[in-house]
Amino acid sequence: MATTAPPSETISATQEFLSNLRQLPRNLKDAWFRLGRVPGSEREESQATFHNLFLHLHSVRVHRRTLSPSLTLGLGLIATFSFVVLVITGLLLMIYYKPSTALAYPSMKDIHYVVATGRFIRNLHRWAAHIMVIAVFAHMARVFFTASYKRPREFNWLVGLGLLVLTLALSFTGYLLPYDQLAYWATTIGANIANSPRELTDALGITPYFDPGGLQKRLLLGAQTVGEDSLIRFYVLHVFLLPLLLVILLSVHFWRIRKDGGLARPEDPAGGWAEWGGKMQRVFEPLATKTYGLMAVVRGRRPPVNRGPEGTVMSWPHLFWAELAVFMLTIAITLVLSFYIDAPLKELANPAVPENPAKAPWYFLGLQELVSYSAFMGGLVIPSIAVIGLALIPFLDRRPGGEGVWFGTPGERTVAWQSLLFGLASTVGMLAFTVNFGWLRNWFPEIHQLWIIAINPGSILVVLFAGWSLWVLRRRNSVRLAAVALFTCFLVGFVVLTYFATVHRGPNWQFYWWPSQWPVH
Amino acid sequence: MKDPSRLYRWMLLLTSLVSLGFLLAAAVRENLLAEWQQRQRTYRKLLAEKATDARGRELLRNFRIELRQVSVPALGAVDRCVSCHVGIDDPRMTDVPQPYRLHPGEILEHHPVDRFGCTICHQGQGAATNFHDAKAEDAYWEYPLLPPELTQATCLSCHDVTRLPRQDVALVLEGMRLYEEKSCGSCHKLHGRGGALGPALDNEGMKTKHQLVLANLKPPYTTWRWHQAHFRDPAGLVPGSQMKNPTVTESEALALTAYMLSLRQRDIPESYLAPDKIAQKFRALSPQPQPAERLYRMYCFACHGEGTYGRWEKVFLRFIPAIRGPLAVTATRRYLETQIAQGRPGTQMPPWHSQAGGLLPEEIAALAEYLRSTAAASPARATAGGTAAVGRGDAARGQVLFLRSCAGCHGVSGTGGVAPELAHPVFLQAADDAFLASTIRNGRPQTAMPAFQRPGSAGLSDAEIVDLIAFLRSLATPPPGPTAPTEEPSRSGGNP
Repeated sequence: MATTAPPSETISATQEFLSNLRQLPRNLKDAWFRLGRVPGSEREESQATFHNLFLHLHSVRVHRRTLSPSLTLGLGLIATFSFVVLVITGLLLMIYYKPSTALAYPSMKDIHYVVATGRFIRNLHRWAAHIMVIAVFAHMARVFFTASYKRPREFNWLVGLGLLVLTLALSFTGYLLPYDQLAYWATTIGANIANSPRELTDALGITPYFDPGGLQKRLLLGAQTVGEDSLIRFYVLHVFLLPLLLVILLSVHFWRIRKDGGLARPEDPAGGWAEWGGKMQRVFEPLATKTYGLMAVVRGRRPPVNRGPEGTVMSWPHLFWAELAVFMLTIAITLVLSFYIDAPLKELANPAVPENPAKAPWYFLGLQELVSYSAFMGGLVIPSIAVIGLALIPFLDRRPGGEGVWFGTPGERTVAWQSLLFGLASTVGMLAFTVNFGWLRNWFPEIHQLWIIAINPGSILVVLFAGWSLWVLRRRNSVRLAAVALFTCFLVGFVVLTYFATVHRGPNWQFYWWPSQWPVH
Repeated sequence: MKDPSRLYRWMLLLTSLVSLGFLLAAAVRENLLAEWQQRQRTYRKLLAEKATDARGRELLRNFRIELRQVSVPALGAVDRCVSCHVGIDDPRMTDVPQPYRLHPGEILEHHPVDRFGCTICHQGQGAATNFHDAKAEDAYWEYPLLPPELTQATCLSCHDVTRLPRQDVALVLEGMRLYEEKSCGSCHKLHGRGGALGPALDNEGMKTKHQLVLANLKPPYTTWRWHQAHFRDPAGLVPGSQMKNPTVTESEALALTAYMLSLRQRDIPESYLAPDKIAQKFRALSPQPQPAERLYRMYCFACHGEGTYGRWEKVFLRFIPAIRGPLAVTATRRYLETQIAQGRPGTQMPPWHSQAGGLLPEEIAALAEYLRSTAAASPARATAGGTAAVGRGDAARGQVLFLRSCAGCHGVSGTGGVAPELAHPVFLQAADDAFLASTIRNGRPQTAMPAFQRPGSAGLSDAEIVDLIAFLRSLATPPPGPTAPTEEPSRSGGNP
């Protein structure tokens, strides 16, 4: 460098070095916070957003509705931030956890008793996982009931569905890792659900030739029973493959939100007046001849940039305050729960002493209830119908209207209430009937299994829900309302079955009013 | 215009405060207020009180509040008990409260803590760092802390109990005595010897509470509380249990419980075994015959009692014969030996040969001789086979006689009723004609079996008896009947 320095330079290199050293803190700060101060103008606020890798995923301005707490309930953010908590606590747990059948359980005990705050970190991991599963489900319901999946957001609905599946898979693979009795038998049940196509192939007598159930189970466990192979498999899925996929899909999910024009909302009346903040304000009308810069290249019909102050606010700082608040809310809830309630750790896994009842993780208990009627129906057909049905919603309901508003279509609230009652009545009724009177096998012990696969409480519920939805379709003459009917029934069925199997199913899958009434054995 | 993010800033403040508070609380609770830390702080005070000499002051100076553990890889144990029981090897700590007190007795001299750990003797969850979880009665752990009076049970894992000081293992020894006295071996197999009606007991001490029926036990649920209650009232604890009530006192039940807890099949490295234990294991490979009187007490008494009276067993719904009654005199030795060795398949009487009940051939012979030689004196003691000139009888005529005179008790086709089953292949194989004839002729005194040919009475003629025997013999090769002795009467836990 000395050769290129101008010879007229009066300060020596030593002085320059010392001066740079003195200014190091200041320059470091400038390099880090490029602006060096809190943004003052909207221009600086814009720069604060799009000059930052993490923030530039947001548009510079967002619509006011985005900030309304009652629109989104922050559910997507809660799910995301739970995932952040899970990644951080998961990494900490990985440092001490040893994925082998001989060491896994003792390492859990060490985390629990010896590792500094290890028990608390594990609690956080456990609770964040529960919160994430619940938030993802609730987020899906929110998006559905605000009709936010409609064009142009169909693709993002599918991505979200993928995220739901990944979330469940992550939670399920994590279940085995402690290698205690709870883990062992819940995983065994999960693997048997994967094995469920065998009920059909067995009934048809073709299992020796065509055995997709057995293949699924072997792929999942790497063996016939849960053991060393399953543990390492679940570990790799849980700490590497599934989180990686989830991060990728999550990025796509956020990217699509931006590209689809932010959160779904009703169109502002163009050029007119709209009420915002208690006042009537003029709404910006874009000029047809003007493009609004690169940031305007989104698929919404009106660009979000340069819209007048009536409809939008600066993302910095308003949106980021909101996001930060939801982040801290998630953390606070997780912390409080983890402080008071420990994550369970039962005895060391023992294949010789089955848990009775052996129950899958709670979000699969609805499925387990259905599987108890018919493995094939409950383990394969009904979940497939549910996932395919959910995926098809935005493609079958294409009439615009009601986006971004809770129960925005006329009559939707009524249909939702009716469907809630219908779903509740039919699910509870079906459960009560089955508990009191049994089913085909109890009445006709010799009956062929194919009859039970076809006709069981689960399949009858599917038929009832579909029938109700079709009736709404004809009666109300609206695809959206039919979708609301079906989705509400699905949701109610899921919740009721999950609750029922969690609380009211005891040893040998018998009915009990409360777990305290279970026979002790 | 209202600030759109005002709500969120308040929310942020509130949630941040909550988070900060709980983070701080958790950090304090986990890092400063752990139970073992508080215990060690108290212990340091005790150390300071006792620091009267230079050595004591040095101990106090070097004392660090830190997690302590004994890692014994050979036993698979990481025992952190010493984190609270800090004074376990400090001879000055005799007048201090638990958990700081010196380990009682001289046991630690022979069992240094750093080589044996704690849980090999005491059980409990060694990895835990608080007493609730270490005691583990109400925690998810298979082997909770043994109560002090039962800890001696684990001595047997490494010692031959007969070589230990009697007073140290008095309870287990009493339990072993009761095990013989109550004839538990009649139904339970132990070390390869015993009946097959109940489960084998070789690993009873390693059972967890999940392997027991707890429905009728009041908490806390521990295996020893279960055993104690179970010895007092088996069927009350396990509905439908066929186990005979051993009629023991509370303290006898405790002794039996201690013995049960001592039965452990644990792979303990040889270097941990006492030489006498290895010798004991070696001796077990070549068992020595036991005296017949003891064998009878251990393996026969529970069902047959003194053996002088037959009786109707309500639980089995079956007649139990008086094997030390006149039967033992009329029957041949071969008959008795076959009966003992083969048992009576299909009834509760198990086979006792070396592959089944584990008795040696000479023991079975001795038992048969014992039954004969000690049989109760009987007025009808007849010489076996007096008129044993048994020729070829007529089974058809025999059947008519059987239906008239025998079927009422023995069943229409000899399958047994209140009286034993006569169509039983083992019985028919073991009983020779002379034995059958003599039994029919003289009856079986002290049982319901009458004499059918008393002098001066109108009974069966010799020829009729021959016909009857012919009929009985015809039962041995029945047309495909239900008496094939294939069914294993065992309900045992599957001890190979």
